[in-house]
Amino acid sequence: MAVTVKTFTSAGEAAGALSSDRSARYLGGGTLVMRALNEGDVSISTVIRANDQALTRIDASGPRVTLGAGVTFARVLAERDLAFLHAPARSIGGPAVRNMGTVGGNLFAQSPFGDFTVALLALDATVAVAGGFGARDVPIEEFLQARDRQAGTLVLSVSCTRPASSEAFRYRKIARIKPKGGAVITLAAHLPVSGGRIAGARIALGSMAPTQIRARAAERALEGRSLDAATIAAAASAATEGTSPSDNALGSAWYRREIVGVHLRRLLSGQE
Amino acid sequence: MLELRKDIFADERDDNLKEIGKGTQRQDMLGHITGTSSYFGDHKLQGMLHLKVVRSAQAHARLRRIDTTEAERSAGVRRIIRSADVPRNLNTLLSLINFGKDDEPSLAVDKVRYKGEPIVAIVADSEREAFEAIAKVRIDYEPLPTVFDVEEALKPGAPVVNETYPKNAFIYHDVHDHQKLRFGDADAALATADHVLEQRYQMSPIEHAPTETNGAIAAPDTNGRYVVYTSTQALFFSVDTCAKILDVPSNTFHFIGGTVGGGFGGKVDTLTEPLAILAAMLTGRPVRYVFGREEEMQYGPPRGAERIFIKDGVMRDGRIVARKIRAYFDSGAYTRLSSYAAVKCAAHLPGPYTIPNVHGDVYCVFTNRTPATAMRGFGVTAMDFAIECQMDKLANLVGMDPMEFRILNAYRDGDMKAHRREAKNTALIECVQVAAEKAKWPIREEFRRASSRKDGGGSRAVIPPTPADARARPAAPVQQRTSYDRLPPTVTREPPREPPPPTPPPSSPRPAAPSHGATRFSSVFGTRRR
Repeated sequence: MAVTVKTFTSAGEAAGALSSDRSARYLGGGTLVMRALNEGDVSISTVIRANDQALTRIDASGPRVTLGAGVTFARVLAERDLAFLHAPARSIGGPAVRNMGTVGGNLFAQSPFGDFTVALLALDATVAVAGGFGARDVPIEEFLQARDRQAGTLVLSVSCTRPASSEAFRYRKIARIKPKGGAVITLAAHLPVSGGRIAGARIALGSMAPTQIRARAAERALEGRSLDAATIAAAASAATEGTSPSDNALGSAWYRREIVGVHLRRLLSGQE
Repeated sequence: MLELRKDIFADERDDNLKEIGKGTQRQDMLGHITGTSSYFGDHKLQGMLHLKVVRSAQAHARLRRIDTTEAERSAGVRRIIRSADVPRNLNTLLSLINFGKDDEPSLAVDKVRYKGEPIVAIVADSEREAFEAIAKVRIDYEPLPTVFDVEEALKPGAPVVNETYPKNAFIYHDVHDHQKLRFGDADAALATADHVLEQRYQMSPIEHAPTETNGAIAAPDTNGRYVVYTSTQALFFSVDTCAKILDVPSNTFHFIGGTVGGGFGGKVDTLTEPLAILAAMLTGRPVRYVFGREEEMQYGPPRGAERIFIKDGVMRDGRIVARKIRAYFDSGAYTRLSSYAAVKCAAHLPGPYTIPNVHGDVYCVFTNRTPATAMRGFGVTAMDFAIECQMDKLANLVGMDPMEFRILNAYRDGDMKAHRREAKNTALIECVQVAAEKAKWPIREEFRRASSRKDGGGSRAVIPPTPADARARPAAPVQQRTSYDRLPPTVTREPPREPPPPTPPPSSPRPAAPSHGATRFSSVFGTRRR
């Protein structure tokens, strides 16, 4: 059976087609779906596309930022108002991949990919999805926990609140091959400060579990404290709590557990 | 000294070459940068079919049953090729030069020996339809015990990977399970050395990772011939390999190579051409067989992983008096070219140094891993890595500068090498001197003055008495902790070695009589054409 490509002009129609066909896969930039097809993944028989303008819209003028699911990393990098997302966008692939890869697609990328999603998780993003029952907003954490069951839903956009300052949001990707390698681990931290103390810390980790996860124990170690050496050490030593990394060609689970605290310490203390 | 008969070969060599130090345009650069270089995969032929293979999901298993009934009925499938369809299914690459036994099937028979081994080939109208048919092939495996470690594989009672070599080691000269190098009495010298350092070095397999994966397109041509567009980096080698496997004269094929999209040794194994041609023979249509990226990475042959043990005896003055090496080449499940790598490795021992007592055992071992193959200096690069690590550790052990330590032990013109050939045109000393100079690494005057052309030969040209060894295989040594990092710097700097005292007359087992090139070549490989 040949692969059928269906292109729709509205995201709603595409979402309807996606939810009604178990062998359908939505093609954003194609960096994941085309790879799977080229490697002989016969579980995909239908490729769904949508050329709905709404999917490629960027709204970055206000404190709340919204990125259409079809926005590419190259476009994120071209947008001056999205400077806080430039580090994660730049960490993905090479120019060719960044020209095609999309924010929405990254939500489905398995380890060692999905770095942008780590940043979005730390920023407490909201994912707007359209399924068989219409559109709704889902907190990113909830979305990721149910990612394996999201096959029939179409992501429309992702939104998050702009961090108060460049210091408040930090990102670090550890790769063996630079600049294009897959991640050994990825870290992002959102550290809002109120009266000299951290309030509402969120730390997200990539490649430390089957999906991107939060390092809640490390967050607790930071909460209500100033970002001094003792606090950073406490957060770093709690970094592995609740993680379940696995082995792959880039690193073993053991290695990931060993280094995550080291890199979290460097991230929090502002070291390169 | 070679003499070029200019009266006959007037145009053969330009004696006025002045290329070094100048930029020269590569002949293929214009095509690459303008995107016009043509690759085998650029050929789209009318009615072209696509071939994909069903690969073993097991590392070692008996094939109880291969059920292709559902796959045969799958849409677009033109032909399913089984091992029985391959005219001469069993082959080994170097059989073309009479080296080694046929040990590897194009398609597995009865048994698979590594994960990813091809079992059946499916020819379909599209790649997609071939993939869909692959998903419908049912294979009933009976898993067998596996062995993935070279030393484990050589132990008695280890699972037999490849029945052609039941002891899991390649057999040289029909009798020897390894390459042996003996020069002097290394054990005796180790017993009297001031320091002995034994180390273990373990390499990993390395994938060539070409941009273009392995592949070929074969198409029926006129007069019963076949035209083959291929990514091979060894075109005539591939022609002859295909002729043997398909049991036809090699002039049946018109092989067209071209730009190899990255080879590095990973495109000599002729993995895709035989099946592509066979499929073209069986269907009468052009057939394309190209590895996917995962196939290339996972099942395309890598550089083999070597395990190397080096035990050196060194004197306080820095002279290395003995070097004992045991190396294991992990060939994976089949020979491919690892047997030759072991030969090259043994010929390379003990590195570019004059050491009076050398003892080398180099094994080519079969395990249930992906077969290894050629890659950039294979057989030598890993050994050099180990030897040079060892040299740094030895220099540290005796408190010598590592550059000076190398100059002290470097071979010089006229020295006898461990494999009983005189060292000529040696230049390690000069290389180290230049490297030190460029790196602004201070070396003492006497080492700056050293020369490869001085102080060689003489007593250093003597072949020492070499005892024959007992039959038993040595026991596995224990990894010794190195004192490399924690050794206090020794300040005693002693003069470079005096030439060792003259030894009794050589008792070389074979006189180094010059012989005809071709004979010498086949003697290296161990099996002479008879």
